[in-house]
Amino acid sequence: MSMMIDPTVVDLSRLQFALTALYHFLFVPLTLGMTFILATMETVYVITGKQIYKEMTQFWGKLFGINFALGVATGLTMEFEFGTNWSMYSHFVGDIFGTPLAIEGLMAFFMESTFVGVMFFGWDRISAKAHLVVTYLVALGSNLSALWILIANGFMQDPRGGTFDPNTMRMQFSNFVDLIFNVDAQAKFVHTSLAGFVTGSMFVMAVSAYYLLTKRHQDLARRSFRIATLFGVISSIGVVTLGDALGFIDVNAQPTKVAAMEAIWNTDRNTVSAPWNLIAFPSESQGRNLFEIGIPYVLTPLLTHTETRVIPGINQLVQDAKPRIVSGIQAMVALEAYNKDHADTQALAVFKANEKDMGFGFLAMQYAPDQDLKNINTTNLPSILDKTAKDTIPNVWVEFWAFRLMVASGFFMLGLFAFAAYYSLKNEMEKHPVLLKMALWSLPLPWIASEFGWITAENGRQPWTVYNWLPTFISASSHTIGYMAFSLVGFTLLYSSFIAAELYLMFKYARLGPTAHHGHDAAAAGGGMAGQPAFAKPSMDRK
Amino acid sequence: MEVYAILKIFWWVLLGVLLMGLAIMVGMDMGVGALMRFVGKTDGERREALNIVGPHWDGNQVWFILGGGAIFAAFPTLYATSFSVFYIVMILLLFSMIMRPVAFEYRSKVAAHKWRETWDWVFLISGALPMIIYGAAIGNILEGVGFHFGWDGQYYQTESFWGYLLNPFAILCGLTSLSLAIYQGGTMLMMRGTDPIYTRAKNYASVGGLAAVVLFLIGGVMVAGMTGYALTSGNPDMPANPVSGQTVELVKGAWMGNYAAHPILWIVPLLALAGMILGVLALRAKKPILGWWLGAVAWIGTIGTVGVSMFPFMMPSSDNPAQSLTVWNATGSEYNLIWMTIFALIFTPIIISYTSWCFYVMRGKVKTPSAQDDHAY
Amino acid sequence: MKAFWNFLGLLAIMILSLFLAVITGDYGPWYFAWLVGTTMIVLIAAAGAVMFEKQEEEQQGKKGSIH
Repeated sequence: MSMMIDPTVVDLSRLQFALTALYHFLFVPLTLGMTFILATMETVYVITGKQIYKEMTQFWGKLFGINFALGVATGLTMEFEFGTNWSMYSHFVGDIFGTPLAIEGLMAFFMESTFVGVMFFGWDRISAKAHLVVTYLVALGSNLSALWILIANGFMQDPRGGTFDPNTMRMQFSNFVDLIFNVDAQAKFVHTSLAGFVTGSMFVMAVSAYYLLTKRHQDLARRSFRIATLFGVISSIGVVTLGDALGFIDVNAQPTKVAAMEAIWNTDRNTVSAPWNLIAFPSESQGRNLFEIGIPYVLTPLLTHTETRVIPGINQLVQDAKPRIVSGIQAMVALEAYNKDHADTQALAVFKANEKDMGFGFLAMQYAPDQDLKNINTTNLPSILDKTAKDTIPNVWVEFWAFRLMVASGFFMLGLFAFAAYYSLKNEMEKHPVLLKMALWSLPLPWIASEFGWITAENGRQPWTVYNWLPTFISASSHTIGYMAFSLVGFTLLYSSFIAAELYLMFKYARLGPTAHHGHDAAAAGGGMAGQPAFAKPSMDRK
Repeated sequence: MEVYAILKIFWWVLLGVLLMGLAIMVGMDMGVGALMRFVGKTDGERREALNIVGPHWDGNQVWFILGGGAIFAAFPTLYATSFSVFYIVMILLLFSMIMRPVAFEYRSKVAAHKWRETWDWVFLISGALPMIIYGAAIGNILEGVGFHFGWDGQYYQTESFWGYLLNPFAILCGLTSLSLAIYQGGTMLMMRGTDPIYTRAKNYASVGGLAAVVLFLIGGVMVAGMTGYALTSGNPDMPANPVSGQTVELVKGAWMGNYAAHPILWIVPLLALAGMILGVLALRAKKPILGWWLGAVAWIGTIGTVGVSMFPFMMPSSDNPAQSLTVWNATGSEYNLIWMTIFALIFTPIIISYTSWCFYVMRGKVKTPSAQDDHAY
Repeated sequence: MKAFWNFLGLLAIMILSLFLAVITGDYGPWYFAWLVGTTMIVLIAAAGAVMFEKQEEEQQGKKGSIH
């Protein structure tokens, strides 16, 4: 039927994509949040006219710039990695998946990247109000970027707006409204964007806490702390709300993800008292949890927002997949026949009848003799069904614990922000050094939450790249192991040196604080240059 | 011809425009990066050179992202196949491209000589290498690429990346692209730079322009004699499926077919040559702004020449010529192209207006940043 | 004349907001929530800063020092 790609190459391609995406996602959330926090600070500057808010915008803007460069650089990889490593995927869904990526460039990334230059360098070239508008456009641009990327991702999670065309052998774009208003994309966008706001808030709060603890730059730190905590506490509430909404959406759209996320092996018909697993050690070989601590009465209302809806367990989902695999095998055999002879209307009819299960046919391919579905007969069918059906479940252990680490970090940050905001509003922050220390040392938490959030979303989608339509192992490009080793080693070396340089600069400039940043401005202050933007200062004079 | 076929051609033209925009704007920044070590002898001079493109490189780079997005959406199969066949080369391109933003942002943030010297090398590599690869990829495509498809649309590659790297014609195309980038970068350095950068940039840009003329002429002769591809049967309205539906012949000199059929097309390569030659003359006459626009004309002519020679081919397959990717079989669906067109029509004017505004705001000559200042690039 | 342009600009922003609100309100409730929520977060955080200045002034007043 079709030559299979070396499973090692598929694994290496997945590893490379995961590494580059997780790495890219170290920088994205901070960009999403910092831009709006900068806009907030600058808004206060424009409203009150107080110079300190301009200094804040410029100081935090500088730290933001160090981060922004890496976000842009690593984003380049993402734009092209579908083509370099996921050839079949790109061919199969490019007609619908590529479109939001193109629109992202057109609508969002262009805006963000063009205005960011003026935001950094244009302080003395345009009026304060015009500069504020520019800052808002950068913030809007970066978040619109996230919107279109997550619309694309929403299609992978819950494919809507596309139809398979047997004449072009790919999924084609068929409904724009379904694509962009896909509820998974909607909730994922708000969840991610607000998680970015939380990241930005945590960053500003932690660095401000460091200044307050060391009693430096207190004017800047106390004001930044106030803005960051308020920003953080509301955003955290939003992130939690949307996380809940995503769970609710996935009960319908991705039951395998939800079952793995909660480590539910057997369907509990007693929906009211069904326990929610706080801790579990899932064993995939035994199909149960070796150890679990559950809280009864929580699971059903938490996930379904009802008391009566049944949440299918993993063992049941495996059985449910089998008839779909049988139907999928018929679909793919018919599709191949139709492709050899487009006059074969009978094959087309068989395909059409089983079309919605064709992904399960793809999934069975790796177990068919010679990878050819035509070789499946009544003798080998049961074992192929067993193996393929098991494959429809993502790695439960990873899913369960990634989800819990994300949620735990999220709730901890919500609590921290709430206390910090309360004491900041009372202007008593400096009386609580323990809280300040907690604020400082919690700095890594939003990144931990974001990374595990990504793992929850994308590991939970496995074994599919496009849920129920295209398996991951078919999506990859047919490279050699040598090719993959070359790119993996290269990415690892490059990205490691980048992160070393970034952290070095971040710590250097965060430690230096805003004074150093304004050191040479002081000299010019007498000449009506006070508050001159450090970024723009040196370089240009108007002709 | 149906709406679908018109849309296919429209997006082929638009892809060409994107590649031209990419070559002109990103090529200019890359030229500056490649020249920086040579036009700037002192740290201050190098910073002046960097700050000339400082406020715009990020915006310009979006051409690259947008080019990727547009190929993905409008030509999904071309995107899926081309980036995979040229894997090692594309990864090298990506490596050098992702070093550049970091170099811009980090180079001047630490004063240590070793730190800056390292990033200056990064600028040279990340300026020169991508332009060579950009040209070399186009050269390889003109010669045909080793790939074919299975019935389900999965592609298979049959040629090692060495074949794509160690290929005289591809190297020639790579050098042409590098020369044009050096010309464009040098011109930009003249427009916004002061002496001594101005004079050095003028000399490098002139050499770049002249080299481009020579390389372009040699390349033209090689293309005329090369075995090209000719579509013997194919239907512009066909469903976009490269697996079957067309027949292709290999013919010596086939890439000259479109010129023979429509002699007016000779204007495109002539435009390239005119842009290069007049551009060099403009620089010698110290008219960098005119020179910049002539450089843009040279790029438009050069990329236009490739497009016109190959039409309707986009990436011919040497493995199974019938499965060559053409404008007719590698595009997105009609519905998709309609939506993409709507978005392009709405956003292109918006992008042009705010990009011009940003260039207007940041206009003027750039001076050498003071030594202690670590806030400009 | 300036007032007129300001009026036109604000009018355009209002029409755009209404348009977005109607579209997202109908089809994309979460998108709508983001628009409203982000505006709210920015305004509340900014208001927090303005309140901070007020508190500072009061404290300065209590200490009897002139700012």
